[in-house]
Formats: sequence, structure tokens, C-alpha cells
Amino acid sequence: MNESGHIVVQGIYKIFKKGRTDEVRAVDGVDFSIKKGELFGLLGPNGAGKTTLIKCISTLLIPDDGSVTVGGYDIYKESLEVRRHIGVLTGGERSLYWKLTPIENLRYFAALYGVPRKSVKNRIEFLLELMGLTDKATVRVEKLSSGMKQKLSLARVLVHDPPILLVDEPTLGLDPYFARFIRDFVKNELNRRLGKTILLTTHYMDEADELCERIAFMNRGKIEAMDTPVRLKQSMPQKQVLEIKCQGALDKGIFDGVREAASINVSHDDGLVYVRVNTDNPEVILSNIIELVREKAKIVSVRVTVPTLEDVFVHLTGASLKDG
Amino acid sequence: MNERGGGLSSRVFHYLRAINAENIKEWKIELTYKPDFIRQFLEPFVYLFPYFLYGFALLGGRYSEHLRSLTGIGDMVAYTFIGYLFIGFLNTACWAMGFSLRKEQWFGTLETIFVAPVPRWVYVAGMALHSTCHQGLIMLIQAVAITTFFAIVLQTSGIFLALSAVLLMLLGLYGLGIVVAGLTIALKQWWVVSEALSTLIVVVTPIAYPLAVLPFVLRKVAMFLPTTYGIIGVRHFLLGENLAVSLPTIFLRLSLILVVWLSFGMLVFLMMDRYGRKRGSLSVY
Repeated sequence: MNESGHIVVQGIYKIFKKGRTDEVRAVDGVDFSIKKGELFGLLGPNGAGKTTLIKCISTLLIPDDGSVTVGGYDIYKESLEVRRHIGVLTGGERSLYWKLTPIENLRYFAALYGVPRKSVKNRIEFLLELMGLTDKATVRVEKLSSGMKQKLSLARVLVHDPPILLVDEPTLGLDPYFARFIRDFVKNELNRRLGKTILLTTHYMDEADELCERIAFMNRGKIEAMDTPVRLKQSMPQKQVLEIKCQGALDKGIFDGVREAASINVSHDDGLVYVRVNTDNPEVILSNIIELVREKAKIVSVRVTVPTLEDVFVHLTGASLKDG
Repeated sequence: MNERGGGLSSRVFHYLRAINAENIKEWKIELTYKPDFIRQFLEPFVYLFPYFLYGFALLGGRYSEHLRSLTGIGDMVAYTFIGYLFIGFLNTACWAMGFSLRKEQWFGTLETIFVAPVPRWVYVAGMALHSTCHQGLIMLIQAVAITTFFAIVLQTSGIFLALSAVLLMLLGLYGLGIVVAGLTIALKQWWVVSEALSTLIVVVTPIAYPLAVLPFVLRKVAMFLPTTYGIIGVRHFLLGENLAVSLPTIFLRLSLILVVWLSFGMLVFLMMDRYGRKRGSLSVY
């Protein structure tokens, strides 16, 4: 059996024991299927179970129950074949040997993946060129920037040209320039041009929205919703969002008395506080909300906009993607 | 990429290539720490000399009639040096192999290499190859330096058989190394097992003293260790030490220990790998 580029996850559970009695249900009965050539995203806050799920799929963890096939191969019975067909980007810049150069790293991984000896040199040159790392080929990894290390990690994942990629938080901790490069590369080069099937995990809403054809919201080990980004946003009963950007210290609790809002989310980014109110009638509650905010913070801007994936996530789970 | 892993021969070739890649990687990383690399070559001399000095102090010289009556070799320096030389391979098993995966955990690369399509014992085997080459090189330098300095004459005709005994001893020790590697990835603090085993083996192996001086129980324990037969055999072939057991018995027991230890090692390793993946302890240092 060989359905290249296809991931089927059915009824997966992974429970970790904590002490004698406590347990953490890291993955709690998850089902989904990814089509060949699809870019599928798992979106959820830290601790939602995304990385645990990727580890189960990549045979690093043994699930407690359920079945997973990758490219038609069973993770329990054909783990070596599963691993031959996947490239796993996890662990960020620590997934490389810092004392070795990019060429030495890639040569080592080419040998582990059984890349034919004759093609190793060309493959490595091609990947370094693709990542714009040719001039750093003989520099020790420890001397590269975080962004370059992440580019090299991507090259490492591609060294055996796998049809399926599992990409865990690829832009975590990167500056905007490298984050943009990685996103464009994943979408345009890996998915669109090379046709790779990609399972991407992220807690960045914009990243999932921009890259993924379908998204599964994951929270506390469960999948809460799964669809295209457009349909997920359309599923919101309230079609408008009142967004207030302000400076100061705001607690979500101050809005407890507001009745007209379906949900209210308070998040922090770049020293600013964002209050997002899902509602059908922003004009009705505008003055009430502004009054409450003004008591605690200085308002920078107010606008009415459409729901984002974060709003959908908050609406479905009550939790924020920045939680965890 | 290839669709399937290929036949048995291509898989074996793939694994051997991966083992060699691991060996090369270790050399490259090791050579970036130059002072430590030099230290590793000097240290065996430093550790060996206290044995000699202690012997000189007790005997009033390097020769002992009592040692000759027990072993057939009167030269304390030659006797001790050969024992010490080959016990160096114990480090290969207990430290280099045993800690190969723990080191990857520390680097943060363990999960990265564990998703490659090779069995996980391949990394331990790669480390065994590296450490054996490393230790072999140290041993060679040490042997040339000590034999020259103390004018020790070795029976060169016995070198092939001596190396055969060492090879069997090494393979047996690899079994121990793979047990420790398995225990340390799954159970973390079990590196103390390595420490304890290493100490026990050094005590009961006839490195600087013959088996005859050990208490009865420890002598029995020594009979289960590959180092005992390896070192007795090597000393017999290179220095003419008297044998308490026949040569065929030495090789037979070494072969038997090798099979038992390697099989047991693989069994423990596979169980611990599975346990670690069940428990989710692979990435935790």
C-alpha cells in the first residue's frame, strides 16, 4: 500500500502521567485527514497538543490509542518507511550541530537518510543555493544568525526530498525578515511549486490564515473546528468586530457587565493592548466599551473590522491563541 | 526519493553508511575542542604512573618473584601496562556508547536524528566505532611510548591472537554500552549505572593484579566479564602469562559472553526506546 503524500489520523490519544494520580491529556481523540499536496495547519495556543501530535505522526512518540498512516504507511508497523517519507522541522535552531558547518551538517543527514552518494554533492549545493546560504557553506553553524539556522534546518529537512513535511512552529522567535522568507518558502516553493504535503503547526493566526488551505483549531488536546480559513471566519455568528487599540493595563474582567457582545478578547502585542469585541451592532455598544477602556487605558485607535481566525478561536474555545 | 527502503543488502549498506557518518561527525565535533582532544591523549599516561609508582614503592623495583609465581610474569611494569592499556576500551562501552544518546539530548539533536529512517541503535554503533578508533589510537601511542621508555619486549608473534581476544572482548563490551545507552535515554539518572558498572569491572578485572588475589566471590563475578578473558588472553599472547584456563576455553567463553551481552543489550535498548517513546521522555534532558 502506498498513498504517497497522505496523512490519516484517526482517534489518536496521548496521555502523560504526572505523578501517581494526575494525567495530562495532550492529545484527546483527534481525527483528521490531509490530502496529497495540501498545506494543512494546526492552530492553537502553547500547550494545545500540536507538537505532541506531530511527534506521534513522526514516530517519536507512541500514541496510547488510535491509528495514523503517513503516505499509506502505518506508524506502528512501518515506522522506518514512515520516516523515509517525511521531513520533520522541529526543535528550531537546536536541531543542527553547531560545531559543524552547513555542508557537514547536510552531508551527515544525507547519509542518515540514504541519499545516493553520487547525488549528495549536487543536492547539498542546490539546497544551500535555494536557501541563500552558499556563502555560509563552510562557516560553523554557531556563527550563523537564528534566521540562517532556521533556513539551514529547512534545508536539512529537504535533504532527502520527502513528499511529506511536518513543520512545527517554523517562524517562532524569528525576526520579521526571516519569518517572511520562511512563510513564502513554505507556501510558494514547498507547497505550490514542489507539491509537498505539509502539516504546519503554529500559534500565529496570521501565519495560518496566510499559508493554510485548511485549518484545524486545537485546544487542550482536542480539535475544536476544522475548515478553510474563509469558511471558519464565515462561521462566526457576528459578522463585525469592534477593535480598540490602547496603551495601559487592561483586564478582561472589566467587560463582564457588557451584554451586547458575543465575546470579548483582550490581547497584548508590541506594548499595546488590543480589545476585540465580536458583535452585530458595534454602534450600539461603542460608547459603553470606550467608557470602560478609558477608565484604565489611553485609547490609540478605534475601528470596526471583520472577524479574524483569532476571533473564531476565542468564540469557539473561550481561550486566546496567545494563552498557554 | 526512493519509494521503498530496498532489499536487505541495501539496508545493511545504508546502516553501515549511517554508522560511519556518525563516526565522522564525532571526529569533527571532537576536533573543534582541541585542548580537550590533547588532554584525552595525555591523560592515560597520567593515570598509569601512580600504578607504577605504587608498585615501585612496594617492590623496591619493577620485578617481583611473587608476581612471577602467580602469573609467570615478574615485570610489574609490563604486567600492569598491558592490563591498563586494554581496559581503556571500557570507556568506549560505559561512557562513549552509553552516553552517545544522552549527549544528543544535551545538544538538542536527539529527536532530529530519531526521525531519520535508520534503527536507533545505529547511532550507538556509530559512537562505538568512533570511540574504538579513538581509543585504539590512544592505545597505540601509549603502547609505543611505554614499551620504548621502559624497554618492554612484547611477543610480536602473539599480536594477531591478542587482537582477536581484544575484538571479542570489545564486542562483549558493546553489549554493555548499548544497555547503558538505552537506560540513560529512558530513565535519565541511570547514568549512575554506568558509573557503578565501570567501577565494578575495573575492580574485578585483572588489570594490575592477578585474579588469584581477589576474594572468592569477586573471582566468580570476574568469570562473567569479557574484560577478564580479554586481558588474560592479551597478556598471555604478548607477555607469556600463565593461563588458569585453556586458550580454547578463553575464546569460547569470550564468544559466549559476547552473544549473551549483545543480545541482552539489544533487548534492553529496544525496550527502553519503546518505553521512552511511550512516556515522552526523549527530548527531556
